[in-house]
Amino acid sequence: MYDGVAPLWGFVAGILPTLLKATGVTLKLTVLAMCVGLAIGTLAALMRISRNRLLSSLSLAYVTFFRGTPLVVQILIIYFALPQIGVKLDRFWSAVVALGINAGAYIAEIIRAAIESIDKGQMEAARSLGMSYGLAMRRVIIPQTYRRLLPPLGNEFIAMLKDTSLIALIGGEELTRAGQHIISATFRPWPVYLTVAGIYLSLTALFSCLVRFGERRLQQ
Amino acid sequence: MMSQPMVQVSHVWKRYGALDVLKDVSLEVQKGEVVSIIGPSGSGKSTLLRCINYLEKVDSGVIRIAGNPPPSDERTLNLARSRIGVVFQHFNLFPHMTALGNVIEGPVQVKKMPRSESIEMARSLLARVGLSDKENAYPHQLSGGQKQRVAIARALAMQPEVMLFDEATSALDPELVGEVLAVMRDLASSGMTMLVVTHEMEFARDVSDRIVVLVDGSIVEEGPPGQVLSVPKNKRTREFLSRVLEGRRAQLPAALGAR
Repeated sequence: MYDGVAPLWGFVAGILPTLLKATGVTLKLTVLAMCVGLAIGTLAALMRISRNRLLSSLSLAYVTFFRGTPLVVQILIIYFALPQIGVKLDRFWSAVVALGINAGAYIAEIIRAAIESIDKGQMEAARSLGMSYGLAMRRVIIPQTYRRLLPPLGNEFIAMLKDTSLIALIGGEELTRAGQHIISATFRPWPVYLTVAGIYLSLTALFSCLVRFGERRLQQ
Repeated sequence: MMSQPMVQVSHVWKRYGALDVLKDVSLEVQKGEVVSIIGPSGSGKSTLLRCINYLEKVDSGVIRIAGNPPPSDERTLNLARSRIGVVFQHFNLFPHMTALGNVIEGPVQVKKMPRSESIEMARSLLARVGLSDKENAYPHQLSGGQKQRVAIARALAMQPEVMLFDEATSALDPELVGEVLAVMRDLASSGMTMLVVTHEMEFARDVSDRIVVLVDGSIVEEGPPGQVLSVPKNKRTREFLSRVLEGRRAQLPAALGAR
Protein backbone atom coordinates (compact mmCIF):
# COMPACT_ATOMS: atom_id res chain seq x y z
CA MET A 1 0.00 0.00 0.00
CA TYR A 2 2.95 2.33 0.69
CA ASP A 3 3.46 4.47 -2.36
CA GLY A 4 6.26 6.85 -1.42
CA VAL A 5 6.61 10.13 0.41
CA ALA A 6 5.99 12.53 -2.43
CA PRO A 7 2.69 10.95 -3.53
CA LEU A 8 1.60 10.89 0.13
CA TRP A 9 2.16 14.62 0.51
CA GLY A 10 0.49 15.16 -2.79
CA PHE A 11 -2.52 13.19 -1.57
CA VAL A 12 -2.75 15.15 1.67
CA ALA A 13 -2.41 18.44 -0.20
CA GLY A 14 -5.19 17.28 -2.47
CA ILE A 15 -7.69 16.51 0.31
CA LEU A 16 -6.74 19.51 2.44
CA PRO A 17 -9.07 22.08 0.79
CA THR A 18 -12.07 19.80 1.35
CA LEU A 19 -11.09 19.17 4.95
CA LEU A 20 -10.42 22.85 5.66
CA LYS A 21 -13.82 23.77 4.27
CA ALA A 22 -15.38 21.26 6.67
CA THR A 23 -13.21 22.73 9.45
CA GLY A 24 -15.06 25.99 8.82
CA VAL A 25 -18.31 24.21 9.62
CA THR A 26 -16.78 22.69 12.75
CA LEU A 27 -15.66 26.13 13.96
CA LYS A 28 -18.99 27.74 13.17
CA LEU A 29 -20.72 24.95 15.06
CA THR A 30 -18.41 25.35 18.04
CA VAL A 31 -18.75 29.12 18.28
CA LEU A 32 -22.53 29.13 17.91
CA ALA A 33 -23.00 26.24 20.35
CA MET A 34 -20.70 27.98 22.83
CA CYS A 35 -22.87 31.12 22.62
CA VAL A 36 -25.98 29.03 23.28
CA GLY A 37 -24.18 27.24 26.12
CA LEU A 38 -23.03 30.51 27.72
CA ALA A 39 -26.50 32.03 27.55
CA ILE A 40 -28.24 28.97 28.97
CA GLY A 41 -25.45 28.30 31.45
CA THR A 42 -25.54 31.84 32.87
CA LEU A 43 -29.30 31.74 33.21
CA ALA A 44 -29.22 28.29 34.83
CA ALA A 45 -26.47 29.37 37.26
CA LEU A 46 -28.44 32.44 38.37
CA MET A 47 -31.60 30.33 38.74
CA ARG A 48 -29.69 27.75 40.75
CA ILE A 49 -28.43 30.26 43.34
CA SER A 50 -31.71 32.18 43.54
CA ARG A 51 -33.76 31.82 46.69
CA ASN A 52 -36.78 30.85 44.60
CA ARG A 53 -37.17 27.10 45.14
CA LEU A 54 -38.95 26.48 41.83
CA LEU A 55 -36.27 28.21 39.73
CA SER A 56 -33.51 26.52 41.67
CA SER A 57 -34.95 23.00 41.27
CA LEU A 58 -35.69 23.56 37.58
CA SER A 59 -32.05 24.44 37.09
CA LEU A 60 -30.89 21.45 39.12
CA ALA A 61 -33.08 19.12 37.04
CA TYR A 62 -31.64 20.55 33.83
CA VAL A 63 -28.06 20.18 34.99
CA THR A 64 -28.64 16.67 36.31
CA PHE A 65 -30.24 15.44 33.08
CA PHE A 66 -27.75 16.92 30.63
CA ARG A 67 -24.68 16.04 32.64
CA GLY A 68 -26.00 12.59 33.45
CA THR A 69 -26.81 11.35 29.95
CA PRO A 70 -24.46 10.80 27.00
CA LEU A 71 -24.09 13.66 24.54
CA VAL A 72 -24.62 11.17 21.69
CA VAL A 73 -28.04 10.24 23.08
CA GLN A 74 -28.92 13.92 23.43
CA ILE A 75 -27.93 14.58 19.81
CA LEU A 76 -30.02 11.64 18.61
CA ILE A 77 -33.03 12.75 20.64
CA ILE A 78 -32.87 16.29 19.30
CA TYR A 79 -32.39 15.25 15.67
CA PHE A 80 -34.57 12.13 15.45
CA ALA A 81 -37.08 12.31 18.31
CA LEU A 82 -37.97 16.00 18.53
CA PRO A 83 -39.45 16.12 14.98
CA GLN A 84 -42.04 13.57 16.13
CA ILE A 85 -43.44 16.14 18.54
CA GLY A 86 -43.33 18.85 15.91
CA VAL A 87 -39.92 20.43 16.60
CA LYS A 88 -38.05 20.22 13.31
CA LEU A 89 -34.52 21.50 13.08
CA ASP A 90 -32.10 20.86 10.23
CA ARG A 91 -28.84 19.01 10.87
CA PHE A 92 -26.79 22.08 11.55
CA TRP A 93 -29.18 23.69 14.01
CA SER A 94 -29.91 20.37 15.71
CA ALA A 95 -26.19 20.14 16.30
CA VAL A 96 -25.94 23.71 17.62
CA VAL A 97 -28.87 23.15 19.97
CA ALA A 98 -27.64 19.75 21.21
CA LEU A 99 -24.07 20.88 21.83
CA GLY A 100 -25.22 24.19 23.31
CA ILE A 101 -27.72 22.72 25.75
CA ASN A 102 -25.23 20.07 26.79
CA ALA A 103 -22.44 22.57 27.38
CA GLY A 104 -24.89 24.86 29.18
CA ALA A 105 -25.24 22.29 31.95
CA TYR A 106 -21.49 22.21 32.56
CA ILE A 107 -21.15 25.97 32.16
CA ALA A 108 -23.95 26.50 34.70
CA GLU A 109 -21.93 24.61 37.30
CA ILE A 110 -18.75 26.50 36.37
CA ILE A 111 -20.47 29.87 36.75
CA ARG A 112 -22.25 28.87 39.95
CA ALA A 113 -18.99 27.75 41.53
CA ALA A 114 -17.29 30.99 40.47
CA ILE A 115 -20.07 33.15 41.94
CA GLU A 116 -20.08 31.18 45.18
CA SER A 117 -16.31 31.56 45.48
CA ILE A 118 -16.62 35.35 45.75
CA ASP A 119 -16.31 36.55 49.35
CA LYS A 120 -19.73 37.07 51.00
CA GLY A 121 -18.53 40.47 52.19
CA GLN A 122 -18.67 41.74 48.62
CA MET A 123 -22.42 41.23 48.39
CA GLU A 124 -22.89 42.77 51.84
CA ALA A 125 -20.82 45.81 50.94
CA ALA A 126 -22.79 46.27 47.72
CA ARG A 127 -26.14 45.85 49.45
CA SER A 128 -25.12 48.23 52.23
CA LEU A 129 -24.66 50.94 49.59
CA GLY A 130 -28.32 50.42 48.77
CA MET A 131 -27.85 48.28 45.65
CA SER A 132 -30.54 45.79 44.75
CA TYR A 133 -29.58 42.12 44.50
CA GLY A 134 -29.57 42.28 40.70
CA LEU A 135 -27.48 45.43 40.56
CA ALA A 136 -24.99 44.02 43.08
CA MET A 137 -24.69 40.86 40.97
CA ARG A 138 -24.17 42.80 37.75
CA ARG A 139 -21.80 45.46 39.05
CA VAL A 140 -19.91 43.72 41.83
CA ILE A 141 -20.15 39.93 41.88
CA ILE A 142 -20.22 38.84 38.22
CA PRO A 143 -17.29 41.04 37.07
CA GLN A 144 -15.13 39.45 39.76
CA THR A 145 -15.82 35.99 38.37
CA TYR A 146 -14.38 36.69 34.90
CA ARG A 147 -10.81 35.85 35.80
CA ARG A 148 -11.84 32.63 37.53
CA LEU A 149 -14.17 31.71 34.67
CA LEU A 150 -11.69 31.99 31.82
CA PRO A 151 -9.67 28.76 32.38
CA PRO A 152 -12.65 26.41 32.87
CA LEU A 153 -14.61 28.07 30.05
CA GLY A 154 -11.55 27.71 27.82
CA ASN A 155 -11.51 23.99 28.62
CA GLU A 156 -15.21 23.83 27.86
CA PHE A 157 -14.63 25.46 24.47
CA ILE A 158 -11.88 23.00 23.61
CA ALA A 159 -13.99 20.03 24.71
CA MET A 160 -16.84 21.37 22.60
CA LEU A 161 -14.59 21.73 19.56
CA LYS A 162 -13.77 18.02 19.81
CA ASP A 163 -17.35 17.04 20.62
CA THR A 164 -18.58 18.53 17.34
CA SER A 165 -17.14 15.37 15.74
CA LEU A 166 -20.11 13.47 17.24
CA ILE A 167 -22.30 15.38 14.81
CA ALA A 168 -20.95 13.04 12.12
CA LEU A 169 -23.43 10.55 13.61
CA ILE A 170 -26.41 12.45 12.23
CA GLY A 171 -24.61 13.18 8.98
CA GLY A 172 -23.54 16.73 9.72
CA GLU A 173 -20.89 17.79 7.20
CA GLU A 174 -18.20 18.76 9.68
CA LEU A 175 -14.53 17.83 9.75
CA THR A 176 -14.76 14.19 10.87
CA ARG A 177 -17.61 13.41 8.52
CA ALA A 178 -15.73 15.02 5.63
CA GLY A 179 -12.80 12.72 6.40
CA GLN A 180 -15.09 9.68 6.33
CA HIS A 181 -16.38 10.73 2.91
CA ILE A 182 -12.87 10.98 1.51
CA ILE A 183 -11.94 7.57 2.92
CA SER A 184 -14.99 5.89 1.41
CA ALA A 185 -13.81 7.16 -1.97
CA THR A 186 -10.04 6.59 -1.58
CA PHE A 187 -9.73 3.75 0.99
CA ARG A 188 -6.80 5.52 2.66
CA PRO A 189 -7.78 5.86 6.34
CA TRP A 190 -4.27 6.56 7.66
CA PRO A 191 -3.37 9.82 5.94
CA VAL A 192 -6.95 11.08 6.08
CA TYR A 193 -7.60 10.44 9.77
CA LEU A 194 -4.14 11.68 10.74
CA THR A 195 -4.75 14.88 8.79
CA VAL A 196 -8.15 15.26 10.45
CA ALA A 197 -6.58 14.66 13.88
CA GLY A 198 -3.82 17.14 13.03
CA ILE A 199 -6.35 19.84 12.23
CA TYR A 200 -8.21 19.28 15.53
CA LEU A 201 -4.91 19.32 17.41
CA SER A 202 -3.78 22.59 15.78
CA LEU A 203 -7.07 24.24 16.68
CA THR A 204 -7.12 23.06 20.30
CA ALA A 205 -3.47 24.05 20.74
CA LEU A 206 -4.22 27.47 19.29
CA PHE A 207 -7.17 28.02 21.65
CA SER A 208 -5.17 26.81 24.66
CA CYS A 209 -2.61 29.49 23.84
CA LEU A 210 -5.31 32.13 23.45
CA VAL A 211 -6.81 31.20 26.83
CA ARG A 212 -3.42 31.37 28.54
CA PHE A 213 -2.77 34.75 26.90
CA GLY A 214 -6.19 35.99 28.03
CA GLU A 215 -5.53 34.78 31.56
CA ARG A 216 -2.30 36.74 31.71
CA ARG A 217 -4.08 39.83 30.40
CA LEU A 218 -6.79 39.54 33.07
CA GLN A 219 -4.16 39.10 35.78
CA GLN A 220 -2.89 42.58 34.93
CA MET B 1 -40.62 68.39 71.40
CA MET B 2 -37.37 66.50 70.94
CA SER B 3 -36.55 65.38 67.42
CA GLN B 4 -36.57 61.72 66.46
CA PRO B 5 -33.49 59.73 67.44
CA MET B 6 -31.33 58.91 64.41
CA VAL B 7 -31.16 55.27 65.41
CA GLN B 8 -33.79 53.73 67.59
CA VAL B 9 -33.45 50.10 68.59
CA SER B 10 -36.35 48.90 70.71
CA HIS B 11 -36.59 45.54 72.43
CA VAL B 12 -34.71 43.65 69.75
CA TRP B 13 -34.27 39.89 70.00
CA LYS B 14 -32.14 37.91 67.59
CA ARG B 15 -31.68 34.15 67.68
CA TYR B 16 -29.50 31.77 65.69
CA GLY B 17 -31.11 28.42 66.30
CA ALA B 18 -31.10 27.85 70.05
CA LEU B 19 -28.64 30.69 70.68
CA ASP B 20 -29.97 34.07 71.75
CA VAL B 21 -27.51 36.55 70.28
CA LEU B 22 -29.41 39.70 71.19
CA LYS B 23 -31.74 39.71 74.17
CA ASP B 24 -34.16 42.58 74.45
CA VAL B 25 -31.68 45.21 73.31
CA SER B 26 -32.84 48.83 73.31
CA LEU B 27 -30.65 51.70 72.27
CA GLU B 28 -31.05 55.22 70.96
CA VAL B 29 -28.53 57.33 69.12
CA GLN B 30 -29.31 61.02 68.68
CA LYS B 31 -28.35 63.01 65.63
CA GLY B 32 -24.67 63.98 65.81
CA GLU B 33 -23.98 61.60 68.66
CA VAL B 34 -21.03 59.19 68.67
CA VAL B 35 -21.78 55.97 70.51
CA SER B 36 -19.22 53.21 71.02
CA ILE B 37 -20.30 49.65 71.65
CA ILE B 38 -17.78 47.62 73.59
CA GLY B 39 -17.88 44.15 75.06
CA PRO B 40 -16.29 40.72 74.88
CA SER B 41 -16.15 38.98 71.51
CA GLY B 42 -19.24 36.97 70.76
CA SER B 43 -21.40 39.32 72.80
CA GLY B 44 -23.52 40.31 69.79
CA LYS B 45 -21.97 43.70 68.93
CA SER B 46 -21.53 42.98 65.23
CA THR B 47 -24.92 41.30 65.03
CA LEU B 48 -26.49 44.43 66.44
CA LEU B 49 -24.87 46.58 63.73
CA ARG B 50 -25.95 44.08 61.06
CA CYS B 51 -29.51 44.27 62.35
CA ILE B 52 -29.41 48.08 62.25
CA ASN B 53 -28.38 47.92 58.58
CA TYR B 54 -31.10 45.31 58.00
CA LEU B 55 -28.51 42.76 56.84
CA GLU B 56 -30.02 40.49 59.49
CA LYS B 57 -33.71 40.22 60.30
CA VAL B 58 -34.62 40.69 63.93
CA ASP B 59 -36.82 38.03 65.51
CA SER B 60 -38.75 40.61 67.47
CA GLY B 61 -38.51 44.28 68.27
CA VAL B 62 -38.20 47.26 65.97
CA ILE B 63 -35.31 49.23 64.51
CA ARG B 64 -36.03 52.68 63.13
CA ILE B 65 -33.62 54.93 61.30
CA ALA B 66 -34.44 58.66 61.44
CA GLY B 67 -37.92 57.79 62.60
CA ASN B 68 -38.76 55.76 59.52
CA PRO B 69 -40.64 52.49 59.94
CA PRO B 70 -38.61 49.33 59.20
CA PRO B 71 -38.49 48.62 55.46
CA SER B 72 -41.32 46.46 54.22
CA ASP B 73 -40.16 45.65 50.69
CA GLU B 74 -37.06 45.53 48.52
CA ARG B 75 -37.38 49.16 47.44
CA THR B 76 -37.68 50.66 50.92
CA LEU B 77 -34.97 48.28 52.14
CA ASN B 78 -32.50 49.54 49.54
CA LEU B 79 -33.50 53.13 50.27
CA ALA B 80 -32.96 52.62 54.01
CA ARG B 81 -29.56 51.03 53.45
CA SER B 82 -28.46 53.82 51.12
CA ARG B 83 -28.89 56.23 54.05
CA ILE B 84 -26.72 54.16 56.39
CA GLY B 85 -22.96 54.00 55.82
CA VAL B 86 -21.23 50.80 56.88
CA VAL B 87 -17.51 50.25 57.36
CA PHE B 88 -16.57 46.59 57.67
CA GLN B 89 -13.76 44.90 59.55
CA HIS B 90 -12.38 43.42 56.33
CA PHE B 91 -12.96 46.59 54.24
CA ASN B 92 -14.82 44.71 51.49
CA LEU B 93 -13.60 47.08 48.81
CA PHE B 94 -14.53 46.07 45.27
CA PRO B 95 -11.23 44.65 43.99
CA HIS B 96 -12.01 45.19 40.30
CA MET B 97 -12.47 48.94 40.72
CA THR B 98 -9.96 51.68 41.52
CA ALA B 99 -10.20 53.67 44.73
CA LEU B 100 -12.12 56.34 42.82
CA GLY B 101 -14.30 53.66 41.18
CA ASN B 102 -15.18 52.26 44.59
CA VAL B 103 -16.19 55.67 45.89
CA ILE B 104 -18.36 56.71 42.91
CA GLU B 105 -20.04 53.29 42.56
CA GLY B 106 -22.82 53.99 45.06
CA PRO B 107 -23.68 57.54 43.94
CA VAL B 108 -23.61 56.64 40.23
CA GLN B 109 -25.42 53.28 40.39
CA VAL B 110 -27.81 53.81 43.28
CA LYS B 111 -28.42 57.55 43.40
CA LYS B 112 -28.04 58.00 39.62
CA MET B 113 -25.80 60.97 40.26
CA PRO B 114 -24.11 62.27 37.08
CA ARG B 115 -20.66 60.76 36.69
CA SER B 116 -18.74 64.02 36.56
CA GLU B 117 -20.45 65.29 39.69
CA SER B 118 -19.77 62.09 41.60
CA ILE B 119 -16.13 62.07 40.53
CA GLU B 120 -15.74 65.58 41.86
CA MET B 121 -17.32 64.53 45.16
CA ALA B 122 -15.24 61.34 45.32
CA ARG B 123 -12.04 63.33 44.84
CA SER B 124 -12.88 65.63 47.73
CA LEU B 125 -13.74 62.60 49.91
CA LEU B 126 -10.46 60.88 49.04
CA ALA B 127 -8.69 64.14 49.90
CA ARG B 128 -10.52 64.19 53.22
CA VAL B 129 -9.23 60.71 54.10
CA GLY B 130 -5.75 61.69 52.89
CA LEU B 131 -5.65 59.58 49.73
CA SER B 132 -5.78 62.09 46.88
CA ASP B 133 -2.74 60.47 45.30
CA LYS B 134 -4.33 57.01 45.31
CA GLU B 135 -7.47 57.56 43.27
CA ASN B 136 -6.27 55.31 40.43
CA ALA B 137 -4.87 52.59 42.69
CA TYR B 138 -6.61 49.24 42.89
CA PRO B 139 -7.33 47.82 46.36
CA HIS B 140 -4.55 45.23 46.08
CA GLN B 141 -2.08 48.09 45.67
CA LEU B 142 -3.13 49.69 48.96
CA SER B 143 -2.17 48.97 52.56
CA GLY B 144 -4.83 47.86 55.02
CA GLY B 145 -5.11 51.33 56.49
CA GLN B 146 -5.45 52.89 53.05
CA LYS B 147 -8.09 50.35 52.07
CA GLN B 148 -10.12 51.13 55.14
CA ARG B 149 -9.89 54.84 54.48
CA VAL B 150 -11.15 54.28 50.93
CA ALA B 151 -13.95 52.18 52.41
CA ILE B 152 -14.88 55.08 54.69
CA ALA B 153 -14.89 57.46 51.71
CA ARG B 154 -17.06 54.97 49.80
CA ALA B 155 -19.59 54.91 52.62
CA LEU B 156 -19.54 58.71 52.94
CA ALA B 157 -20.17 59.13 49.22
CA MET B 158 -23.76 58.03 49.79
CA GLN B 159 -24.13 61.02 52.15
CA PRO B 160 -25.45 58.78 54.90
CA GLU B 161 -27.33 60.04 57.92
CA VAL B 162 -25.52 57.62 60.17
CA MET B 163 -22.25 55.68 59.94
CA LEU B 164 -21.78 52.21 61.39
CA PHE B 165 -18.24 50.99 62.08
CA ASP B 166 -17.92 47.25 62.62
CA GLU B 167 -14.51 46.74 64.25
CA ALA B 168 -13.03 48.93 61.55
CA THR B 169 -9.49 48.65 62.88
CA SER B 170 -9.43 45.03 64.08
CA ALA B 171 -7.96 43.58 60.90
CA LEU B 172 -5.20 46.18 60.66
CA ASP B 173 -1.54 45.92 61.55
CA PRO B 174 -0.99 47.91 64.77
CA GLU B 175 0.99 50.64 63.06
CA LEU B 176 -1.88 51.29 60.62
CA VAL B 177 -4.63 51.63 63.22
CA GLY B 178 -3.84 55.27 63.96
CA GLU B 179 -4.47 56.61 60.45
CA VAL B 180 -7.95 55.05 60.36
CA LEU B 181 -8.83 56.25 63.86
CA ALA B 182 -7.69 59.74 62.84
CA VAL B 183 -10.20 59.74 59.98
CA MET B 184 -12.90 58.52 62.34
CA ARG B 185 -12.07 61.25 64.86
CA ASP B 186 -12.28 63.87 62.13
CA LEU B 187 -15.64 62.47 61.07
CA ALA B 188 -16.93 62.52 64.64
CA SER B 189 -15.90 66.12 65.13
CA SER B 190 -17.66 67.09 61.90
CA GLY B 191 -20.97 66.12 63.52
CA MET B 192 -21.60 62.75 61.87
CA THR B 193 -23.84 60.40 63.77
CA MET B 194 -21.71 57.33 64.47
CA LEU B 195 -22.23 53.92 66.00
CA VAL B 196 -18.87 52.29 66.54
CA VAL B 197 -18.16 48.70 67.54
CA THR B 198 -14.58 48.79 68.73
CA HIS B 199 -11.84 47.28 70.86
CA GLU B 200 -9.94 50.55 70.90
CA MET B 201 -10.60 51.77 74.44
CA GLU B 202 -8.70 55.03 74.02
CA PHE B 203 -10.75 55.87 70.96
CA ALA B 204 -13.96 54.99 72.78
CA ARG B 205 -12.93 57.18 75.72
CA ASP B 206 -11.73 60.19 73.71
CA VAL B 207 -14.27 60.34 70.91
CA SER B 208 -17.55 58.85 72.12
CA ASP B 209 -20.33 60.83 73.70
CA ARG B 210 -21.57 57.61 75.21
CA ILE B 211 -20.37 54.04 75.67
CA VAL B 212 -22.63 51.02 75.59
CA VAL B 213 -21.41 47.74 77.07
CA LEU B 214 -22.86 44.63 75.50
CA VAL B 215 -22.30 41.32 77.28
CA ASP B 216 -23.95 38.04 76.24
CA GLY B 217 -26.48 39.83 74.06
CA SER B 218 -27.63 42.31 76.69
CA ILE B 219 -26.70 45.91 77.36
CA VAL B 220 -25.32 45.74 80.86
CA GLU B 221 -24.26 49.34 81.18
CA GLU B 222 -24.28 52.59 79.28
CA GLY B 223 -23.17 56.10 80.03
CA PRO B 224 -20.53 58.75 79.38
CA PRO B 225 -17.07 57.29 78.71
CA GLY B 226 -15.54 58.72 81.88
CA GLN B 227 -18.09 56.95 84.03
CA VAL B 228 -18.29 53.61 82.16
CA LEU B 229 -14.54 53.17 81.76
CA SER B 230 -13.37 54.62 85.07
CA VAL B 231 -16.12 53.84 87.57
CA PRO B 232 -18.18 51.08 85.96
CA LYS B 233 -21.27 50.23 87.98
CA ASN B 234 -21.87 46.80 86.58
CA LYS B 235 -19.86 43.75 87.69
CA ARG B 236 -19.68 42.34 84.15
CA THR B 237 -18.36 45.65 82.80
CA ARG B 238 -15.64 45.59 85.48
CA GLU B 239 -14.74 42.01 84.55
CA PHE B 240 -14.56 42.88 80.84
CA LEU B 241 -12.49 46.02 81.38
CA SER B 242 -10.03 44.31 83.70
CA ARG B 243 -9.54 41.54 81.13
CA VAL B 244 -8.88 44.12 78.40
CA LEU B 245 -6.41 46.02 80.59
CA GLU B 246 -4.66 42.82 81.67
CA GLY B 247 -4.35 41.85 78.02
CA ARG B 248 -2.69 45.20 77.30
CA ARG B 249 -0.21 44.78 80.13
CA ALA B 250 0.46 41.14 79.27
CA GLN B 251 1.21 41.94 75.64
CA LEU B 252 4.59 43.56 76.11
CA PRO B 253 6.35 41.02 78.38
CA ALA B 254 4.83 38.17 76.36
CA ALA B 255 6.19 39.64 73.15
CA LEU B 256 9.61 40.05 74.68
CA GLY B 257 9.61 36.62 76.25
CA ALA B 258 8.42 34.82 73.15
CA ARG B 259 11.68 35.26 71.32
